[in-house]
Amino acid sequence: MNYKKFLLIIAALWIPVLLKAASQDTDFLRSTGKIYSVVIVICILFLGIIIFLFRLDRKLTKLENQINNEQ
Amino acid sequence: MWWKILGAAIFMYVLIGGLLTPLNPGITAVSPSKTGTGEDLILSVTGYNTHFTTAKNHRAWLKLDSIHAVPAENISILNENTAELRFLIPGTLPDNEELAAATLILDNEMDGSFVQPSALFIQNSQTQNPASDREWQQYIIKDLSVRKSMGFPYRNILNETIRNTFFHVALWFAMFLLLIAGIYYAIRYLRTQDIVFDHYSSAFNKVAILYGILGLITGSVWAKFTWNTFWTTDVKLNMTAVAMLIYLAYLVLRGSSADQDKRARLSAAYSIFAFVALIPLVFVIPRLTDSLHPGNGGNPALGGEDLDNT
Repeated sequence: MNYKKFLLIIAALWIPVLLKAASQDTDFLRSTGKIYSVVIVICILFLGIIIFLFRLDRKLTKLENQINNEQ
Repeated sequence: MWWKILGAAIFMYVLIGGLLTPLNPGITAVSPSKTGTGEDLILSVTGYNTHFTTAKNHRAWLKLDSIHAVPAENISILNENTAELRFLIPGTLPDNEELAAATLILDNEMDGSFVQPSALFIQNSQTQNPASDREWQQYIIKDLSVRKSMGFPYRNILNETIRNTFFHVALWFAMFLLLIAGIYYAIRYLRTQDIVFDHYSSAFNKVAILYGILGLITGSVWAKFTWNTFWTTDVKLNMTAVAMLIYLAYLVLRGSSADQDKRARLSAAYSIFAFVALIPLVFVIPRLTDSLHPGNGGNPALGGEDLDNT
Protein backbone atom coordinates (compact mmCIF):
# COMPACT_ATOMS: atom_id res chain seq x y z
CA MET A 1 0.00 0.00 0.00
CA ASN A 2 2.31 2.67 -1.24
CA TYR A 3 -0.31 5.38 -1.47
CA LYS A 4 -1.05 5.07 2.25
CA LYS A 5 2.52 6.05 3.05
CA PHE A 6 2.25 8.95 0.63
CA LEU A 7 -0.94 10.22 2.27
CA LEU A 8 0.52 9.76 5.74
CA ILE A 9 3.55 11.83 4.79
CA ILE A 10 1.34 14.61 3.39
CA ALA A 11 -0.84 14.54 6.50
CA ALA A 12 2.22 14.51 8.75
CA LEU A 13 3.55 17.63 7.05
CA TRP A 14 0.46 19.47 8.26
CA ILE A 15 0.71 18.38 11.90
CA PRO A 16 3.16 21.16 12.94
CA VAL A 17 0.99 23.78 11.27
CA LEU A 18 -2.17 22.54 12.98
CA LEU A 19 -0.35 22.29 16.32
CA LYS A 20 0.85 25.83 15.89
CA ALA A 21 -2.73 26.88 15.16
CA ALA A 22 -3.87 25.20 18.35
CA SER A 23 -1.23 26.85 20.53
CA GLN A 24 -1.44 30.39 21.75
CA ASP A 25 1.60 31.49 19.81
CA THR A 26 -0.21 31.97 16.53
CA ASP A 27 1.30 35.17 15.25
CA PHE A 28 2.20 33.71 11.87
CA LEU A 29 -1.24 32.24 11.22
CA ARG A 30 -2.96 35.41 12.30
CA SER A 31 -0.73 37.71 10.26
CA THR A 32 -1.95 39.51 7.10
CA GLY A 33 -5.61 39.37 8.02
CA LYS A 34 -5.64 35.67 9.05
CA ILE A 35 -5.21 34.58 5.41
CA TYR A 36 -3.32 31.44 6.46
CA SER A 37 -6.42 30.06 8.15
CA VAL A 38 -8.02 30.10 4.70
CA VAL A 39 -4.98 28.20 3.40
CA ILE A 40 -5.45 25.56 6.13
CA VAL A 41 -9.14 25.23 5.23
CA ILE A 42 -8.32 24.74 1.54
CA CYS A 43 -5.62 22.18 2.39
CA ILE A 44 -8.02 20.19 4.59
CA LEU A 45 -10.58 20.23 1.78
CA PHE A 46 -7.99 19.16 -0.78
CA LEU A 47 -6.60 16.36 1.41
CA GLY A 48 -10.10 15.09 2.24
CA ILE A 49 -11.20 14.92 -1.38
CA ILE A 50 -7.88 13.41 -2.52
CA ILE A 51 -7.99 10.69 0.17
CA PHE A 52 -11.58 9.91 -0.84
CA LEU A 53 -10.64 9.68 -4.53
CA PHE A 54 -7.62 7.46 -3.78
CA ARG A 55 -9.81 5.05 -1.80
CA LEU A 56 -12.43 5.05 -4.55
CA ASP A 57 -9.77 4.35 -7.13
CA ARG A 58 -8.44 1.41 -5.09
CA LYS A 59 -11.93 -0.10 -4.86
CA LEU A 60 -12.46 0.39 -8.61
CA THR A 61 -9.12 -1.28 -9.36
CA LYS A 62 -10.19 -4.23 -7.25
CA LEU A 63 -13.47 -4.52 -9.16
CA GLU A 64 -11.68 -4.21 -12.52
CA ASN A 65 -9.27 -6.98 -11.53
CA GLN A 66 -12.20 -9.20 -10.51
CA ILE A 67 -13.92 -8.67 -13.85
CA ASN A 68 -10.70 -9.30 -15.77
CA ASN A 69 -10.03 -12.50 -13.84
CA GLU A 70 -13.52 -13.81 -14.51
CA GLN A 71 -13.18 -13.38 -18.25
CA MET B 1 -17.87 13.37 -19.86
CA TRP B 2 -18.68 17.08 -20.18
CA TRP B 3 -19.73 17.28 -16.52
CA LYS B 4 -16.29 16.13 -15.37
CA ILE B 5 -14.69 19.04 -17.22
CA LEU B 6 -17.40 21.37 -15.90
CA GLY B 7 -16.74 20.15 -12.34
CA ALA B 8 -13.00 20.76 -12.65
CA ALA B 9 -13.65 24.20 -14.21
CA ILE B 10 -16.00 25.23 -11.39
CA PHE B 11 -13.48 23.97 -8.83
CA MET B 12 -10.70 26.03 -10.39
CA TYR B 13 -12.99 29.06 -10.65
CA VAL B 14 -13.86 28.82 -6.95
CA LEU B 15 -10.21 28.43 -5.95
CA ILE B 16 -9.02 31.33 -8.09
CA GLY B 17 -12.03 33.54 -7.33
CA GLY B 18 -11.88 32.77 -3.63
CA LEU B 19 -8.19 33.55 -3.33
CA LEU B 20 -7.60 36.34 -5.84
CA THR B 21 -10.66 38.54 -5.26
CA PRO B 22 -9.40 41.34 -3.03
CA LEU B 23 -10.82 42.15 0.38
CA ASN B 24 -12.54 45.53 0.51
CA PRO B 25 -10.78 48.24 2.53
CA GLY B 26 -11.52 48.44 6.21
CA ILE B 27 -10.35 49.92 9.50
CA THR B 28 -8.46 47.60 11.82
CA ALA B 29 -7.57 49.94 14.68
CA VAL B 30 -8.48 53.39 15.99
CA SER B 31 -6.65 55.05 18.84
CA PRO B 32 -7.55 56.50 21.27
CA SER B 33 -10.80 54.61 21.74
CA LYS B 34 -12.44 57.12 24.06
CA THR B 35 -12.47 60.86 24.55
CA GLY B 36 -14.35 63.61 26.31
CA THR B 37 -16.63 66.25 24.91
CA GLY B 38 -15.07 69.52 23.85
CA GLU B 39 -11.69 67.93 23.08
CA ASP B 40 -9.41 68.72 20.19
CA LEU B 41 -8.76 65.13 19.22
CA ILE B 42 -6.07 63.55 17.04
CA LEU B 43 -7.35 60.13 16.02
CA SER B 44 -4.82 57.73 14.49
CA VAL B 45 -6.43 55.21 12.18
CA THR B 46 -4.95 52.00 10.86
CA GLY B 47 -6.57 50.67 7.71
CA TYR B 48 -6.38 47.42 5.81
CA ASN B 49 -6.11 47.27 2.01
CA THR B 50 -6.55 51.04 1.93
CA HIS B 51 -4.93 53.44 -0.54
CA PHE B 52 -4.39 56.53 1.57
CA THR B 53 -1.36 57.88 -0.29
CA THR B 54 -2.62 56.98 -3.76
CA ALA B 55 -6.07 58.48 -3.29
CA LYS B 56 -6.50 62.24 -3.37
CA ASN B 57 -9.89 63.27 -1.99
CA HIS B 58 -10.05 62.15 1.61
CA ARG B 59 -13.02 62.80 3.84
CA ALA B 60 -13.85 61.54 7.33
CA TRP B 61 -16.72 61.87 9.78
CA LEU B 62 -17.57 60.85 13.30
CA LYS B 63 -21.23 59.90 13.22
CA LEU B 64 -23.34 59.79 16.37
CA ASP B 65 -26.76 58.97 14.98
CA SER B 66 -28.73 59.51 11.81
CA ILE B 67 -28.66 63.32 12.08
CA HIS B 68 -25.62 64.15 14.23
CA ALA B 69 -22.12 63.95 12.80
CA VAL B 70 -18.93 65.96 12.81
CA PRO B 71 -16.52 66.14 9.85
CA ALA B 72 -12.76 65.90 10.29
CA GLU B 73 -10.98 69.25 10.49
CA ASN B 74 -7.79 67.93 9.04
CA ILE B 75 -6.61 64.62 7.57
CA SER B 76 -2.88 63.91 7.50
CA ILE B 77 -1.80 60.78 5.66
CA LEU B 78 1.20 58.96 7.16
CA ASN B 79 1.37 56.08 4.71
CA GLU B 80 -0.84 53.84 2.59
CA ASN B 81 -2.52 52.30 5.64
CA THR B 82 -2.28 54.86 8.42
CA ALA B 83 -3.69 58.33 8.77
CA GLU B 84 -4.20 60.89 11.51
CA LEU B 85 -7.54 62.67 11.71
CA ARG B 86 -8.18 65.81 13.71
CA PHE B 87 -11.64 66.24 15.13
CA LEU B 88 -13.09 69.06 17.22
CA ILE B 89 -15.50 67.20 19.47
CA PRO B 90 -18.48 69.45 20.34
CA GLY B 91 -19.01 70.50 23.94
CA THR B 92 -22.12 68.59 24.90
CA LEU B 93 -23.72 65.43 23.70
CA PRO B 94 -27.18 65.69 22.13
CA ASP B 95 -30.04 65.04 24.59
CA ASN B 96 -27.50 65.51 27.44
CA GLU B 97 -26.35 61.91 27.28
CA GLU B 98 -23.43 60.86 29.47
CA LEU B 99 -21.79 58.48 26.98
CA ALA B 100 -22.20 57.95 23.27
CA ALA B 101 -20.53 55.67 20.73
CA ALA B 102 -19.49 57.31 17.49
CA THR B 103 -19.01 55.55 14.18
CA LEU B 104 -15.96 56.49 12.16
CA ILE B 105 -16.56 56.87 8.44
CA LEU B 106 -13.72 57.28 5.98
CA ASP B 107 -14.15 58.04 2.32
CA ASN B 108 -11.90 58.44 -0.67
CA GLU B 109 -12.34 58.02 -4.37
CA MET B 110 -10.24 54.82 -4.63
CA ASP B 111 -11.45 52.81 -1.64
CA GLY B 112 -15.00 54.12 -1.54
CA SER B 113 -16.47 54.64 1.90
CA PHE B 114 -15.84 52.30 4.82
CA VAL B 115 -16.78 52.41 8.50
CA GLN B 116 -15.69 51.28 11.93
CA PRO B 117 -18.79 50.98 14.14
CA SER B 118 -18.39 52.21 17.73
CA ALA B 119 -14.88 53.39 16.92
CA LEU B 120 -14.85 56.12 19.56
CA PHE B 121 -16.66 56.51 22.86
CA ILE B 122 -17.39 60.12 23.76
CA GLN B 123 -17.91 60.86 27.44
CA ASN B 124 -19.60 63.99 28.71
CA SER B 125 -16.74 65.75 30.50
CA GLN B 126 -17.67 67.98 33.40
CA THR B 127 -14.76 70.37 32.90
CA GLN B 128 -15.67 73.41 30.88
CA ASN B 129 -13.32 73.50 27.92
CA PRO B 130 -12.99 76.74 25.98
CA ALA B 131 -14.38 74.88 22.97
CA SER B 132 -17.42 73.63 24.84
CA ASP B 133 -19.70 76.21 23.28
CA ARG B 134 -19.60 74.15 20.10
CA GLU B 135 -22.82 72.23 19.57
CA TRP B 136 -23.53 69.04 17.64
CA GLN B 137 -24.66 70.24 14.27
CA GLN B 138 -27.32 68.50 12.30
CA TYR B 139 -24.99 67.17 9.66
CA ILE B 140 -26.10 64.90 6.88
CA ILE B 141 -23.35 62.83 5.28
CA LYS B 142 -23.84 62.65 1.53
CA ASP B 143 -22.07 62.07 -1.78
CA LEU B 144 -20.19 59.02 -0.51
CA SER B 145 -17.85 57.44 -3.04
CA VAL B 146 -18.32 53.88 -4.18
CA ARG B 147 -15.49 51.43 -4.74
CA LYS B 148 -15.50 50.44 -8.40
CA SER B 149 -14.16 46.88 -8.38
CA MET B 150 -15.62 43.78 -6.77
CA GLY B 151 -14.30 42.54 -3.45
CA PHE B 152 -15.10 40.53 -0.38
CA PRO B 153 -16.84 42.69 2.25
CA TYR B 154 -14.58 43.74 5.11
CA ARG B 155 -15.72 42.60 8.54
CA ASN B 156 -13.93 43.07 11.83
CA ILE B 157 -12.52 39.86 13.36
CA LEU B 158 -13.35 37.98 10.14
CA ASN B 159 -10.85 39.87 8.00
CA GLU B 160 -9.53 37.61 5.23
CA THR B 161 -11.24 34.53 6.65
CA ILE B 162 -14.45 35.76 5.02
CA ARG B 163 -13.08 33.94 1.97
CA ASN B 164 -14.00 30.71 3.74
CA THR B 165 -17.61 31.36 2.69
CA PHE B 166 -16.43 30.05 -0.70
CA PHE B 167 -15.16 26.81 0.81
CA HIS B 168 -16.79 26.02 4.15
CA VAL B 169 -20.30 27.22 3.27
CA ALA B 170 -20.18 25.70 -0.22
CA LEU B 171 -19.42 22.30 1.36
CA TRP B 172 -22.72 22.38 3.23
CA PHE B 173 -24.63 23.47 0.13
CA ALA B 174 -23.06 20.59 -1.80
CA MET B 175 -23.83 18.20 1.06
CA PHE B 176 -27.50 19.13 1.00
CA LEU B 177 -27.79 18.79 -2.78
CA LEU B 178 -26.14 15.37 -2.59
CA LEU B 179 -28.40 14.26 0.26
CA ILE B 180 -31.48 15.36 -1.68
CA ALA B 181 -30.22 13.29 -4.65
CA GLY B 182 -29.57 10.42 -2.22
CA ILE B 183 -33.08 10.49 -0.77
CA TYR B 184 -34.58 10.75 -4.29
CA TYR B 185 -32.88 7.52 -5.35
CA ALA B 186 -33.69 5.88 -2.01
CA ILE B 187 -37.39 6.50 -2.67
CA ARG B 188 -37.02 5.27 -6.24
CA TYR B 189 -35.35 2.13 -4.95
CA LEU B 190 -38.18 1.48 -2.50
CA ARG B 191 -40.73 1.91 -5.31
CA THR B 192 -39.00 -0.16 -7.99
CA GLN B 193 -36.71 -2.54 -6.02
CA ASP B 194 -34.09 -1.90 -8.70
CA ILE B 195 -30.66 -2.39 -7.09
CA VAL B 196 -29.07 0.23 -9.38
CA PHE B 197 -30.99 2.95 -7.52
CA ASP B 198 -29.57 1.65 -4.25
CA HIS B 199 -26.06 2.05 -5.64
CA TYR B 200 -26.86 5.62 -6.70
CA SER B 201 -28.40 6.45 -3.34
CA SER B 202 -25.53 5.08 -1.27
CA ALA B 203 -22.91 6.76 -3.45
CA PHE B 204 -24.62 10.17 -3.09
CA ASN B 205 -25.01 9.71 0.65
CA LYS B 206 -21.40 8.64 1.14
CA VAL B 207 -20.00 11.69 -0.68
CA ALA B 208 -22.42 13.87 1.29
CA ILE B 209 -21.14 12.41 4.57
CA LEU B 210 -17.57 13.11 3.44
CA TYR B 211 -18.52 16.73 2.73
CA GLY B 212 -20.29 16.99 6.07
CA ILE B 213 -17.22 15.78 7.97
CA LEU B 214 -14.97 18.10 5.97
CA GLY B 215 -17.44 20.91 6.70
CA LEU B 216 -17.20 20.24 10.42
CA ILE B 217 -13.37 20.21 10.30
CA THR B 218 -13.05 23.35 8.19
CA GLY B 219 -15.65 25.11 10.34
CA SER B 220 -13.66 24.13 13.40
CA VAL B 221 -10.49 25.68 11.96
CA TRP B 222 -12.40 28.83 11.01
CA ALA B 223 -13.86 29.01 14.53
CA LYS B 224 -10.35 28.82 16.01
CA PHE B 225 -9.40 32.02 14.21
CA THR B 226 -12.59 33.99 14.70
CA TRP B 227 -14.28 32.62 17.85
CA ASN B 228 -10.91 31.60 19.37
CA THR B 229 -11.88 28.00 20.05
CA PHE B 230 -12.14 24.86 17.93
CA TRP B 231 -15.56 23.96 19.26
CA THR B 232 -18.15 26.15 20.94
CA THR B 233 -21.45 25.23 22.55
CA ASP B 234 -23.13 26.93 19.59
CA VAL B 235 -26.44 25.17 18.84
CA LYS B 236 -25.73 24.84 15.14
CA LEU B 237 -22.41 23.10 15.76
CA ASN B 238 -23.82 20.58 18.20
CA MET B 239 -26.95 19.89 16.17
CA THR B 240 -24.92 19.40 12.99
CA ALA B 241 -22.62 17.02 14.85
CA VAL B 242 -25.71 15.04 15.96
CA ALA B 243 -26.94 14.98 12.34
CA MET B 244 -23.55 13.73 11.15
CA LEU B 245 -23.62 10.97 13.80
CA ILE B 246 -27.04 9.91 12.49
CA TYR B 247 -25.56 9.67 9.01
CA LEU B 248 -22.47 7.80 10.30
CA ALA B 249 -24.92 5.24 11.68
CA TYR B 250 -26.15 4.92 8.08
CA LEU B 251 -22.68 3.73 7.07
CA VAL B 252 -22.62 1.28 9.99
CA LEU B 253 -26.04 -0.01 8.96
CA ARG B 254 -24.86 -0.61 5.41
CA GLY B 255 -21.81 -2.44 6.63
CA SER B 256 -23.75 -4.65 9.03
CA SER B 257 -25.84 -6.66 6.57
CA ALA B 258 -24.43 -9.05 4.01
CA ASP B 259 -27.70 -9.67 2.19
CA GLN B 260 -27.84 -7.17 -0.66
CA ASP B 261 -31.63 -6.69 -0.89
CA LYS B 262 -32.08 -6.44 2.86
CA ARG B 263 -29.24 -3.95 3.14
CA ALA B 264 -30.67 -1.86 0.32
CA ARG B 265 -34.16 -1.77 1.78
CA LEU B 266 -32.96 -1.00 5.33
CA SER B 267 -30.55 1.74 4.29
CA ALA B 268 -33.06 3.37 1.93
CA ALA B 269 -35.65 3.59 4.69
CA TYR B 270 -33.04 4.75 7.19
CA SER B 271 -31.72 7.49 4.88
CA ILE B 272 -35.25 8.91 4.53
CA PHE B 273 -35.60 9.13 8.32
CA ALA B 274 -32.08 10.55 8.68
CA PHE B 275 -32.87 13.29 6.15
CA VAL B 276 -36.11 14.13 7.91
CA ALA B 277 -34.17 14.43 11.19
CA LEU B 278 -31.49 16.56 9.54
CA ILE B 279 -33.81 19.39 8.47
CA PRO B 280 -34.97 20.47 11.97
CA LEU B 281 -31.52 19.83 13.44
CA VAL B 282 -29.67 22.08 11.02
CA PHE B 283 -32.29 24.54 9.76
CA VAL B 284 -34.95 24.92 12.43
CA ILE B 285 -33.45 24.60 15.92
CA PRO B 286 -30.48 26.99 15.38
CA ARG B 287 -32.91 29.63 14.13
CA LEU B 288 -35.05 29.36 17.24
CA THR B 289 -32.18 30.11 19.60
CA ASP B 290 -29.09 32.25 19.55
CA SER B 291 -26.33 31.07 17.32
CA LEU B 292 -22.96 32.44 16.37
CA HIS B 293 -23.61 31.51 12.77
CA PRO B 294 -24.74 34.37 10.54
CA GLY B 295 -28.39 34.23 9.61
CA ASN B 296 -29.43 32.43 12.81
CA GLY B 297 -31.06 33.69 15.97
CA GLY B 298 -31.98 37.04 14.43
CA ASN B 299 -28.36 37.58 13.52
CA PRO B 300 -28.01 39.12 10.05
CA ALA B 301 -25.71 37.40 7.60
CA LEU B 302 -24.30 39.74 5.00
CA GLY B 303 -27.62 41.59 4.70
CA GLY B 304 -25.78 44.91 4.84
CA GLU B 305 -24.43 44.13 1.38
CA ASP B 306 -27.92 44.04 -0.10
CA LEU B 307 -28.87 46.89 -2.38
CA ASP B 308 -31.92 47.83 -0.34
CA ASN B 309 -30.47 46.65 2.99
CA THR B 310 -33.62 44.96 4.24
